[in-house]
Amino acid sequence: MSNQIERCYIFQSSSKTSKSVVSTKTVVPFDNEEDDVNSEQWRSQPKHIFILSEAGKPIYSRHGSEDKLVTIMGVMQALVSFVGDSNDSLRCMIAGDHKFVFLVRDHLLLVGVTNCMDSTHQLLLQLTYVYNQVISVLTHSTLCKIFKQRRNYDLRRMLSGAEKFFDNLLNLMDSEPGFLLTAVRCLPLDYSIREIIAQSIVQHAKIKDLVFGLIITNNQLITLVRIKKYYLHPMDLHLIMNLVNASESFKTAESWTPLCLPKFDQSGFLQAHISYLDDSCETCLLLLTVDRESFFTLSECKNKIKERLLKYNALRAISDSLKRNAYGIQQCGINDLRHFLYKSKSTAQYTSPELEAPYVTQAEKDRLFGLYKYLHHRIHSAARPLKILFHVGAYETLLGWVTAGFELYAVFGPLVTKTSAIHAVNKLLRWIKREEERLFILNSVTF
Amino acid sequence: MSGSKVDVKVVLLGKSYAGKTCLVERYIHERYTGDTVPYHNTIGAAFGAKKVTVNGKSVVLGIWDTAGSERYESMSRIYYRNAKAAVLCFDLTDKSSFDRVRFWIGELQDHEENCKIYLCGTKKDIVDDDSSHRSVNEREAQALATDVMAELYETSSKTGENIRELFTKVAQDYLENLKPEEKADSFNLEEKKGKFPCACKES
Repeated sequence: MSNQIERCYIFQSSSKTSKSVVSTKTVVPFDNEEDDVNSEQWRSQPKHIFILSEAGKPIYSRHGSEDKLVTIMGVMQALVSFVGDSNDSLRCMIAGDHKFVFLVRDHLLLVGVTNCMDSTHQLLLQLTYVYNQVISVLTHSTLCKIFKQRRNYDLRRMLSGAEKFFDNLLNLMDSEPGFLLTAVRCLPLDYSIREIIAQSIVQHAKIKDLVFGLIITNNQLITLVRIKKYYLHPMDLHLIMNLVNASESFKTAESWTPLCLPKFDQSGFLQAHISYLDDSCETCLLLLTVDRESFFTLSECKNKIKERLLKYNALRAISDSLKRNAYGIQQCGINDLRHFLYKSKSTAQYTSPELEAPYVTQAEKDRLFGLYKYLHHRIHSAARPLKILFHVGAYETLLGWVTAGFELYAVFGPLVTKTSAIHAVNKLLRWIKREEERLFILNSVTF
Repeated sequence: MSGSKVDVKVVLLGKSYAGKTCLVERYIHERYTGDTVPYHNTIGAAFGAKKVTVNGKSVVLGIWDTAGSERYESMSRIYYRNAKAAVLCFDLTDKSSFDRVRFWIGELQDHEENCKIYLCGTKKDIVDDDSSHRSVNEREAQALATDVMAELYETSSKTGENIRELFTKVAQDYLENLKPEEKADSFNLEEKKGKFPCACKES
């Protein structure tokens, strides 16, 4: 590890380099029967993610089929092992406007390629999420066992049916700022309602070996109850949301599935009881336990929880909140503020208003997210971390501010001055403080 | 439906895409969505229960629809443990799914001797439409069934053919095999619940 020097390999040549790097090994001209790398459509994808085994065997590719990408994955493996041979490690490569980021973990090699705004660090974080998703499906111990037995194993066999988790996770990460911030979004609810919901879990699911009980909806957290000594890391919570978000199968029946949470315990599975509480399948209850035999006990807990939530009209409150959408930027009452992300560091939760004009088309949404990535990258740059950054762009002005308690990323119209932006942000902080109880889960509930 | 009310634990096993979920959907909810909803694989296992009446006696079947993906195989024991019946599903149009059935037979014979086995060839409608799609010979399937003293059913979740028959048979076999003393046992258990706890407390 001591030899790991952060080094960027920059291939300097014509602007076409990025493409020529991708296709060096394939001399055959356009032919769809051949490798995917020859297809223009494949090459024009803004972000590629690859998983391959240490031996260079393809495991997953976000675009195209792995079978048709054997050659390029072989090149990736060769690059990594070539640099590895000199006791160094390949982290990042820049070619033209493309960035190649490499993550080597136990038995797996993950590669991200993009021409978007993502910084090296941000891509690494995404690759870590993808790696964690593999662990979540298999556990770290199984992964090690498999490759110890057969170095050349085709891991796709073990991951069959799980491809949708990777696809969905990658799509989520391209649109959901929570991953970038490693924070989750909570469904806005009145404090008293949220308390009722949390208490229904505490009262009806206080069962030995039950570690976490949580309710989520539409990638937002409604409540989380945990055993006092255990915490649920936001990365694990994101994987849980991804599991629910990507699966249709929980909507038809109560499910009982093994689930590994890498930050909690990467060596083993928890058993998850997963069910929807409403007929429209929006509000999902998850009860995570270490007792593999407790399905029916938890099934009864679920019924009692549901009964209580119905009795107190809590399910109605949830669906109302979902329908209403979170809140618009006008509600904050600040002129010229277009959008913001606010992360409360102590709770690892964040809030942001709905996207409104001009950020309504997909292209504009992506551009806004790109601005946030840029701001986030500048502020968290390892070489020169910043506390506050005022950036005037062509179409908007950005203000980023990080303190011990929060991270704030705000987007203003292009003509705002520094003084008025600071003034606005202070006003915004006061507004968030007032709304805090509705937007965040402030007290963590334990069994 | 809660676990305590389940009489027979039934587990569905078989390769992914063999049609286990559709089979359960058809049986429990009497619907078929295979034509409109794209295929989605089961995660872990899904539970459903249904009450059947056979010869005037009602039995509740607790059906576990397991995921067919290979990675769950090593964990499948938690799903078939103590199952009274196992429905081993295979796709009549996919030979490899039939080969998987042998694996499950071995697995059950090793770990759950008392679990009764049923073989179920799915997607019969496809084969009926065009017999060239059939990859699993009925005679071959019947031979395997006879070998392991199992019943063979060919079903279609699309038309519903033979599905009710299959599960009714499961319930029927359960009732027939119910040994008299077993019946007495379960009866006693119910009795004890009411009386003994108080007695224990007092003593």
